[in-house]
Amino acid sequence: MSILNVFNSPTTFALATCVMADRRRINGPPGGTRPAIYATSLPSIKDADRARRQRQPSELRKIFLKTGLIPSASGSSYLEFEPSASLAAARANPKSLIPPSSALKLACTVHGPKPLPRSVAFSPNIVLTTHVKYAPFAARKRKGHIRDASERDLGVHLETALRGAIIAERWPKSGLDITITIIEAEDDRWWGDAPDSHDASWGMMNVLAGCINAASAAIADAHIDCLDLVSGGVAALVTDNDGGAPQLMLDTDPAEHRSIVSACVVGYMPARDEITALWLKGGTSKAALDEQDGRSGHEALVDGAVDAARGAHMVLGEAVKESMERALGQTT
Amino acid sequence: MAAQQKASSASQTPHLSPAELSYLYTSLSLPQNPIRPDGRSPTQFRPLTAEPDILPGTNGSARIGFADGTQAVVGVKAEVEKTVLSADTLDASNLSQQQGDFAAQEGRDGREGAGSAAVAGHGSWVQVSIEIPGFRDDDALPVFLSEMMRESLVGSVAGGNDSSDEMAGGLKGRLVINKRWHWRLYIDSQGEEDPFFDDDWAVAEHLYPRGTTNSTVKLSSSVPQVRPPITLLVISVGENTIFDPSREEIAVADAVLAISVARDGGDKNLKLLSIRTIDPPSRLTQPAVPNSENVNALGATAPTEDVAVLNPATGEEEVPGVWRPRRGGVKRSVIAQMVKTVLKKGGVGEEVLEGLEGVEVE
Amino acid sequence: MASATGAASHPVPPSLSLPPSQFARLQPHAYLLAHLSPPAASNQPSIRANGRASSQFRVTSANAGSLTHTNGSAVVRMGDTTSVCGVRAEILRTEDIASWSVSRTSNEASNKRRRLAELNEKPNEEDEDTAADDEEDRAHIEDLNLLVPNLSLSTGCAPGFTPGAPPSALAQSLSHQLLSLLHSTRLVRADDLRIWYQPPSLGPEELERHNDDEQMDVDPNPSGGVEDHKNREIKGFWVLYIDVMIISLAGNPFDAAWASVLAALRDTKLPRSWWDVDSEMILCSDNVSEASKLSLRGLPVASSFCVFEADAAAGWRAVVIPDAEEQKARSQKKGSQQRWILADPDGYEENLGQERICLVVDKEKGGKGKTVVLKMEKHGGWTVDTDDLRQLVDISARRWDEMKRILDQC
Repeated sequence: MSILNVFNSPTTFALATCVMADRRRINGPPGGTRPAIYATSLPSIKDADRARRQRQPSELRKIFLKTGLIPSASGSSYLEFEPSASLAAARANPKSLIPPSSALKLACTVHGPKPLPRSVAFSPNIVLTTHVKYAPFAARKRKGHIRDASERDLGVHLETALRGAIIAERWPKSGLDITITIIEAEDDRWWGDAPDSHDASWGMMNVLAGCINAASAAIADAHIDCLDLVSGGVAALVTDNDGGAPQLMLDTDPAEHRSIVSACVVGYMPARDEITALWLKGGTSKAALDEQDGRSGHEALVDGAVDAARGAHMVLGEAVKESMERALGQTT
Repeated sequence: MAAQQKASSASQTPHLSPAELSYLYTSLSLPQNPIRPDGRSPTQFRPLTAEPDILPGTNGSARIGFADGTQAVVGVKAEVEKTVLSADTLDASNLSQQQGDFAAQEGRDGREGAGSAAVAGHGSWVQVSIEIPGFRDDDALPVFLSEMMRESLVGSVAGGNDSSDEMAGGLKGRLVINKRWHWRLYIDSQGEEDPFFDDDWAVAEHLYPRGTTNSTVKLSSSVPQVRPPITLLVISVGENTIFDPSREEIAVADAVLAISVARDGGDKNLKLLSIRTIDPPSRLTQPAVPNSENVNALGATAPTEDVAVLNPATGEEEVPGVWRPRRGGVKRSVIAQMVKTVLKKGGVGEEVLEGLEGVEVE
Repeated sequence: MASATGAASHPVPPSLSLPPSQFARLQPHAYLLAHLSPPAASNQPSIRANGRASSQFRVTSANAGSLTHTNGSAVVRMGDTTSVCGVRAEILRTEDIASWSVSRTSNEASNKRRRLAELNEKPNEEDEDTAADDEEDRAHIEDLNLLVPNLSLSTGCAPGFTPGAPPSALAQSLSHQLLSLLHSTRLVRADDLRIWYQPPSLGPEELERHNDDEQMDVDPNPSGGVEDHKNREIKGFWVLYIDVMIISLAGNPFDAAWASVLAALRDTKLPRSWWDVDSEMILCSDNVSEASKLSLRGLPVASSFCVFEADAAAGWRAVVIPDAEEQKARSQKKGSQQRWILADPDGYEENLGQERICLVVDKEKGGKGKTVVLKMEKHGGWTVDTDDLRQLVDISARRWDEMKRILDQC
């Protein structure tokens, strides 16, 4: 049976793509469409116009985080990153239709705790379900309506990050649904760059950090007991000039860097100094660290991500305080 | 709905009673020399047999089996696919490159655009699917596993060794045929017989190297043998770091990490490719009740001295011998320790790679 | 909510010592009825549980163009219902249309007719479309599926919708309502979506120049006369993927979704595009100054209503459809109002009434002309008659003014 499957897999994949044209949605032209291809009139525009990081290596982007915007949910939050300098400039004075970078925007809802359906086996702990979906217009490339592998992967990462923080045994036989809709995602690299050897879905890591922060605020808004507000942070080793050693930067926007060598995202609980989720990608051996710095590259990277998470934790605290004040105002 | 989506790592945990969990945890967390149920040392792997090239219809295949009967079959198939230039990388310069054929005919500009979008390859050209009996293919675990495999495969050998041109771009770079065509790699893995996620995992991850090596050898035979990456499953219990855990051992782990490493170019050093935390199933276990709180046992037994002590590894107050589900995360120092054990010279990573290199691939 | 609870405390009998919020959950119908028909003695106005008058819409705000990766986008909030719409334009090449070469010959003929008609008219009188243009618009937009609206409720917007599940019946029906309204209002002009190619009918010396500066000649907007249009051919179309995410659902999703679609389409800019002969593909210019906005036909605004009946079980008991006149006479005799038509119902009110009315109106000449009803839909009951509908059209016309102001500001 297994052997058959090995042979079949390419065909089954082709079949799956055919089935995707489902009748429950309105489909576009059957012949398929293609995204617009821009013939940039001035080839020299490339390097002069490229987005550059204006922040200090350890300076974080501002985060806008608001809870309780979706009243039908037991907890909700909306998170938005401050647009990068280049994006803000492009918005204020639009020249090109191609955006230089993008700023994360996402909405998170928490439904529950609610009783599990009868068909589900007994669970002594709360059963967490995480669901991350990009809006079709969220990224530079149009996303499908059905979750792809990267979106499912994000959901699993998010679940790992949150489950460590939620005190699960306080709600036996209950379920908690966390749904995140990503309205605008981060780029994986600057749009004008060809994918290089270090190319990976770096933008996903920023999205995950945003998801962790938003979900954490929404869970607090739903009054679910947690050990601490778990917060997400990203750090990366980047090379901005050719031949230089990779530098450690916090809260990197991949569109602002020439090449990201490796990046790391953590879910972190400051009160206990513990990491609930860690996702590190890329080689860290060539990091440029101080001579006396005894840490190896990956340790420095994790520490950087933790620092970024600490920064996000302060924003989280504010948002949750606001949520509590609103809750108190309603009851009195 | 929650029923199907619950299929995370937790649903594959064996049903151990709190007492069993506690017993396992205590023996595994013994300082210095943990006692594993099968008597291995913390860094010892289960004996393993590997057999490459078992499926004639594939471009590369292998079967891996552990002594305990767990096995997995992996097939790699390569297909030629037309390269579609995506809008986000295309601009005037790429365009001129795409028109390379025209240009060459006209004799104006016949140069090949090296190091450009088409040459660098794309991560999505490698497709990994993992099938584990009892799971649907869109459940969290297979998705997560295959993404992790793909990530380390695609990211492997990338960068670092610019000396050999062939290797630029890593695996995905080697999938490029020319500007218009590339290979698409399908990697399918099947767990069989005893499909516990950890075992299957370890198996699969050993297998991947085999499969990939086969296919890459065929793709570009001029390339000197490059070792594909390996992913090691590492758990921490108490203060101990344990490799190649069985599923019972995973059930009590404080932290589970999947660490991918590869050889760094020509030298013998190991290079870290990725680390991922995996939700430890111990977070979802049933707690035990200490005697002092047990209503049924009140008066029946002599009052015991159940004194809660602070577990240094978890930072939680615990009564020794009474199982509590794990809570919270893992300390940074623990992660650093786990990575160090893998990466250090003569460490576990090197040992495993050497062992794998012994498997014959013609 | 605070004002609502204040109003509720009076009509609730003193013996019932439930707080208003619990009463609202246990007896939703009685709760709303108590608000709408307060005792005559209390001297209170009839007001909905959410504090609005029956013809009052929720506070609406709109914000357009904030999403980076879209050609046009908008966020519309109507009370607690939030809808995000993003418009993405992609190119459909004519060579990918299966029936293109077959149907082209007939199109050519109508093209010519249209060109001539266009020449006779001044460009600023585009409101007066010719019949031929209408027919072609419909042919292209509807037959080629150039407008692709999809609405998603799987965003966690309300507890009932499972994320990850296929679109619910409500989501499917809303998507189709959006599509049919886009088609029936002919909001988007097909001409905005066409990508033309004018083959150069040039002599040899001009061909030389063509090599020097290829972009000059492939300009899709040649300013020549009829002769120049002769060989013009359509090389592709823009397809607008209009995706609506209902981020928060608290009743009346259609009005919010439609308003966000409208605002996003008003915000949509399409790049200048042309057929590049050398690379045999359609290329676009990323220059913002060359991009053009869609020229939409009018401003259709949707207003939804729901009917709340005093007798909760009226719908069950009625076996024979009652005569409308008879019904009215009876209610007048009784002296108390039997039903209320609530504008822009929230989620609570939607659950209490079956009968829904949806009106889409536009006003000619940017608000100065007469009101045009573009869509009128009523289902779920029989209490609303023509007089009521006439009144609702007036309410919708007032709503149109309000929405126009909001959309113009965003």
